[in-house]
Amino acid sequence: MAYDVQTWINLAAYVGGGLAMGLGAVGAAIGEGYTAAQANEALGQNPEMSGDVFKSMLVGQAIAESASIFALVIAILLLFVNPSAPSAITASSLFGAGLCMGLGAIGSGVGSGIPGGQACLGIVRQPAAAGKLTTNMLIGSAVCQTPAIFAMVVALVLIFIDYSNAPLFPTWAALIGAGLSMGLSAIGSGMGGGFAAGASCEGIARQPESAANVTTTMLVGQAVSQTPAIFGLLISFVLMFKSHEASTTLSASMALLGAGICMGFGGIGPGIGNGMAAEGAVRWVARNMSHAGELMRIMLVGQAVSQSTAIYAMVISLVLIFVL
Amino acid sequence: MNELGKIYQLLIPVGGHTMVFNLDAIIMSWLVIIILIVFGFFAARKKAMLPGSLQLMGELIVSKLFQLTEDALDEKLAPKYAPLIAATFMFMLLCNWIGMIPHLSEPTKDLNTPLSMGILGFVIAHHAGIKAKGFKVYAKAYFEPVFFMMPLNLIGEMAKIISISFRLFGNIMGGSIIILVVSYLVYNILLPPLLLAFFGLFVGAIQAFVFTMLTVVYISVQVK
Repeated sequence: MAYDVQTWINLAAYVGGGLAMGLGAVGAAIGEGYTAAQANEALGQNPEMSGDVFKSMLVGQAIAESASIFALVIAILLLFVNPSAPSAITASSLFGAGLCMGLGAIGSGVGSGIPGGQACLGIVRQPAAAGKLTTNMLIGSAVCQTPAIFAMVVALVLIFIDYSNAPLFPTWAALIGAGLSMGLSAIGSGMGGGFAAGASCEGIARQPESAANVTTTMLVGQAVSQTPAIFGLLISFVLMFKSHEASTTLSASMALLGAGICMGFGGIGPGIGNGMAAEGAVRWVARNMSHAGELMRIMLVGQAVSQSTAIYAMVISLVLIFVL
Repeated sequence: MNELGKIYQLLIPVGGHTMVFNLDAIIMSWLVIIILIVFGFFAARKKAMLPGSLQLMGELIVSKLFQLTEDALDEKLAPKYAPLIAATFMFMLLCNWIGMIPHLSEPTKDLNTPLSMGILGFVIAHHAGIKAKGFKVYAKAYFEPVFFMMPLNLIGEMAKIISISFRLFGNIMGGSIIILVVSYLVYNILLPPLLLAFFGLFVGAIQAFVFTMLTVVYISVQVK
């Protein structure tokens, strides 16, 4: 069965679109469910505040939803895209784009549901701090979206940049590798950022005066837990924009695909681990405000150590791309 | 969609090599610098007990950032590093916001700007570390926990530059690509201003703050 190029492109675009939306629906639904569960618990504690809790549950869920909306945009684009210069590489770039966005939306969806849920609990616990809690929740869950935004950027670049002049071998592998690297590494970072944001909402409810300190620590903690996703973005960019030498051997293609897989999987764990470090630090900044500086320093050192595995993955990826 | 990934460059051949200037980034960062200098000049021109609006704004920014530096470092070091931190924040903030004005573009969208600011912060942090602890103690930290971890510790330190600069670059460039593509898809109707408010105002401010905070804590990790 021999197919022409257009058939391959359609095939890749449809499978990619399906993967983008199917995988992209996973995370946001879990995150929103978590928010709703915490809102129910909050209501059980204090039914008189049902209006406020309901409102902040909806706001929190709306933000958690945005990761899957990104996936929806990419999926629709993939279904109706009409590449200007169709070639066999287009098929692999469209498939890579779908994979990247679908995987990349999982972590941010789960993560950004956590601050919403903790904000609902916090509003019941400390009604006077509702304003601060809502602001903090909005900032925290918006920053959780960063890995999903990176994934969307890589997906858009894969869809819209014209690769028809590049050699088919090994560029096809590089483009799918770019999608995998960004998509997989975004999972851990999205979740990790959510842990930190959730702990910050809890902390502000416990100690509203500490809001400024807690938000600052949360932002730094989230920023560092996004580092694995940034390494994933770097590897994706290298894979997408380096001009790969034409080579018909399979090993050259597999090295590039392997680089993407290596960085992608290597980024999941450090993202979650860094998020846990940030969660602990943020929680204790709220309890012990006078030692905020020390807590942040220890958090950073701990995160740097837990991050080292992502750095090993990045080194191996770069070796796979440039040396082999 | 041809604007995607397009860079205006000035190429000057010098003795067999070609010097490359990214015009957008250079012009825009000079614009930001000029705006900041003018703002600083007018804010400090008529210093009074009852501050005018510009002076009030300047005092607000400076005192908040001084407070942040003091929290992360200590009272002794804060006066030394606070001016750097305040300047970094204001420069980054204006760099991220300037793209909201039509026909202007964010200099931070070009990797060179965040990368050079990241290297600046990195060098200053390590200089501060060597000065505070002495070179021996500073260098010994690289051979922990065991001596053969040295190359990996070095790469880990270098990765800090990559992460701090790519974080800013990825967010700002990502925002601008998303705005470009979505505006193209909806024929510039309704959505672009909302996206600008989110990616320009909100994400731009948060990322400028995160960049500044990370510069401070990198200094504080080295000093302590």
